Amino acid sequence: MDTIDPIHVQVLAAVLFSLGLCAVVMRRNLFFILMGIELLLNAVNLSLIGFARTLSAEQGSLTGHIVPLFTIAVAAAEACVGLAMVICITRGKDTVDADAFAEMKE
Amino acid sequence: MFENLNAALGPIYFWIFAVSALLSSLGLVFVCRHPLSGALNLIGVMLSLAGIYAILHSPFLGVLQVLVYAGAVMMLVVFVIMVLNQAKDHQVPRFDVFSLGAFALPVAIGAALVGFLAKQPLAPSAGAVRAEIQPISAELFDMTAAGPGLYVLFELVGVLLLVAVVAAVLLAKRRLDTPAAEAEPKGDDHGHH
Repeated sequence: MDTIDPIHVQVLAAVLFSLGLCAVVMRRNLFFILMGIELLLNAVNLSLIGFARTLSAEQGSLTGHIVPLFTIAVAAAEACVGLAMVICITRGKDTVDADAFAEMKE
Repeated sequence: MFENLNAALGPIYFWIFAVSALLSSLGLVFVCRHPLSGALNLIGVMLSLAGIYAILHSPFLGVLQVLVYAGAVMMLVVFVIMVLNQAKDHQVPRFDVFSLGAFALPVAIGAALVGFLAKQPLAPSAGAVRAEIQPISAELFDMTAAGPGLYVLFELVGVLLLVAVVAAVLLAKRRLDTPAAEAEPKGDDHGHH
């Protein structure tokens, strides 16, 4: 009935995951690093839902739709704590450049 | 009749959403300089993914994606960006020399993922469940001994969210032992010695 190839979904998820990783390791702005992590979690959700389409009900197709629920909840908790940490560490610095927070290196 | 129409339009919608998700995430990673425009691009990615979820037989997760991600989480991100905005955010350089070297890592991981997936025999299963809210809740809250036990995870997620909220309040609060009335920052109280 439907003609969406699951491999296309998985490749889209892999490309989004790589782009999220790019944001995490390349950008210098703290907010972009956090948003890169959100993009990573979204790509994983897309991959799970894509794989759920390739399984029958006995193989656990429904579980592939339920695990993203928990991923979304964990991502919400992560965003909550992550943003609080950004508020906390930028308080005395007045900048969001990641290079300004290198005390542990020195 | 509409069933046939939907079956014909599904892939077209999928490609529209896929291209818009890709363009938005490219904008987020490589183009945007100010965090607010980056956040708007991320909201675009999330809305496109919600559409893809709905096409992939998961309308409940699509709704949840719009409500929780594009709604709640990104609202929080935008709110914090605007509170912390020193009008200098866009002066932070996007990349540095280290970024050029670090670019190899995501490219390698993405190429490995795609190369691995291309060899897998993936086909849509005829028995795949359309995950409406009724089968999801029946599976999630199946409390029989033979059930999957996912309701325990559900309870744990409640505890996790509570702990995260308490941790966020503690982190963002200025000083724990100072009453709110005299919560004046003392200069280098927070600095290193």
